[in-house]
Amino acid sequence: MNDVANECISEKLDDYTLVRVRGEVDLSWSQQVRRAILDALGATGKVGVELSQVSYIDSSGIAALVEGFQNARGKGQQFGLIGASKPVMAVLQLARLDKVFPLFPDLDAARAG
Amino acid sequence: MNASPLALAGAEERRALGFLADLSESLAVSLDLRETLDMAVTRIAAFMHAEAASLFLLDAASGVLECRICVGPVDINGLKIAIGQGVVGRCVAENATQIVREARSDPRVNANVDAETGFATRSILCAPLATARGVIGALEVINRRDGGLFDEDDAEILRLVAAPAALAISNAQLAYGLVEQQRIKREMELARKIQKSMLPKRRRGAFPLLGVNLPAHEISGDFYDFFDLPDGSLGFVIGDISGKGLDAAFLMVRVAGLLRWVGKRAPAPAAWLAEVNAELCKTLTEGRFVCAAVGIYDRVTRVVTFASAGFPPALLFGAGSFEELLADGPPLGILAEASYGERRIALGDRALYLFSDGATDVRDAQRKTLGSDGLRQIILRHATLAPEPRLRALLGDLKRLHVVDDTTLLLLQEPGGKSAQPLLDLHFPARAGEMRAVRAALRTALDAQELGPELRDRLVLAVDEACTNIIRHAYCGECDQRISLQLVREHDMLTFELRDSAPRVDPARLIARDLGECKPGGLGIPFINALMDEWKLEPAADGRGNVLRMRKRIGTGGHE
Repeated sequence: MNDVANECISEKLDDYTLVRVRGEVDLSWSQQVRRAILDALGATGKVGVELSQVSYIDSSGIAALVEGFQNARGKGQQFGLIGASKPVMAVLQLARLDKVFPLFPDLDAARAG
Repeated sequence: MNASPLALAGAEERRALGFLADLSESLAVSLDLRETLDMAVTRIAAFMHAEAASLFLLDAASGVLECRICVGPVDINGLKIAIGQGVVGRCVAENATQIVREARSDPRVNANVDAETGFATRSILCAPLATARGVIGALEVINRRDGGLFDEDDAEILRLVAAPAALAISNAQLAYGLVEQQRIKREMELARKIQKSMLPKRRRGAFPLLGVNLPAHEISGDFYDFFDLPDGSLGFVIGDISGKGLDAAFLMVRVAGLLRWVGKRAPAPAAWLAEVNAELCKTLTEGRFVCAAVGIYDRVTRVVTFASAGFPPALLFGAGSFEELLADGPPLGILAEASYGERRIALGDRALYLFSDGATDVRDAQRKTLGSDGLRQIILRHATLAPEPRLRALLGDLKRLHVVDDTTLLLLQEPGGKSAQPLLDLHFPARAGEMRAVRAALRTALDAQELGPELRDRLVLAVDEACTNIIRHAYCGECDQRISLQLVREHDMLTFELRDSAPRVDPARLIARDLGECKPGGLGIPFINALMDEWKLEPAADGRGNVLRMRKRIGTGGHE
């Protein structure tokens, strides 16, 4: 999984915006991830960040997720993390944010939630 | 033919049983089997009223029967017959008694023998010498003296008298084989001792050369040697003879002697190899060659001059990384005009590992070879040990795998240098884009310490957070200034040392927010607090830049 190229793609599925993140999220491009999340929240509807292909995330990546969460909450928008990989979960637990973010196992659960 | 002795007529039966008991006893107590068998065959001929009798033994390897004992008018001692041929050959092949009543017209009978000897064969009986190990030969009687023909009763008697003869011969053969095996084993043991005595004795005190030789069998085709030179420097040699076994071991003794004899005059290593090569090319038999490396080490300057003749790449290890030293020319004994390069290496505190290909040929349970990468992993794993325990640990790891070839290791390293060799020593520009490669290198270095993936990932995160803090807050953004990262292990303590050349950072300015507070940013230091046992930021001793040292104690078993 360490060889996955860094990538961040947004998809619109009806009223749901899915931000798919892959690779190692670190300072070198966490601003791009942050921008994609904030852009997704600019539209109406629910937003989910898919993290199953993320093999590493540092505090700047976590900061981007936190900012997205706070932004959504301020606007009463639904925001969740989907399929968080083991490395992502470990860092969320370390930051004690695993109980803060709505976490969904997959896209269907996130859209229903 | 399968009639029991009881089926024989009364008086004849008693005579046969008496003879059999007698014969069995003399064979069982015999101290000189050859003499006893001679006498037994004579007695069997007399008892059977035969003109001639002979005993053939089988050479299992060649499948040829040879007449070993013979009584009668014609001496056929040494006569050889292939299994399946003639009466004797067929008897052994079929493990069945043969009766020939009319020799002249029987296709089994080889008429050439009579033609050559002038003997007239009329009637033949031949019984196999059968043992639990199979048929080992045959017992043959020829022509009844009374002119009559051998019958089924005679065949039965011969079959019975053949049994104790077969047993006695078989026991004697087994005993001889055992004695022979013991003799060879004793001699191999002696050869091994002599070989071992040729390896140099371990020197007392702080000595920079250490060697081990692990033969795959009793004897080895590998060797190493080191000796003092007149100017106070040290000569050393390691070699591997092509092939295995006794001939390789004999050759090893000769080549080791030659390398030492030439080396004592302290020629430059390239000339040293060239001289030994020229000599070996004159005398080595076809297809034999020797891979060897030689060197001279100056303990004062810590410079080693080194040359390799087809020997596996030597590994120079220092500051967490390996340098491979390829051979400087072909193996010895192939090309008389071969010339060799040599190189001078400022060894300093580094370690030079020389190992025969047996070290990389060890197999795991899946028969997969260890290879050069596997060997490097093992060296890395024990990198923090002092040279002597490290070599022992290396050998221990190799022995736990399956050693298929002679394995020899020679380690050159000045002892008592820095006790803690860095496991990683990286220098990179202060750019976020560098961090992915830094993390990968750190993962590899930590994996060699067998920490387990969870602890490894936590430590990688802490180092990454520290580096990004240096980029963002010490250098105030990405730039081409350097960050250096050293990882050192002392016993179970890992130390991560990060150096920068940024303006001095006041440690008091670093504020750690509480974890669990949900806001973006400021997580780096809390992460480091949570992941490391302790950390300290100080100005560098030379006044340029900052030094951050983070420590983590790792428990046994690799987990926290």
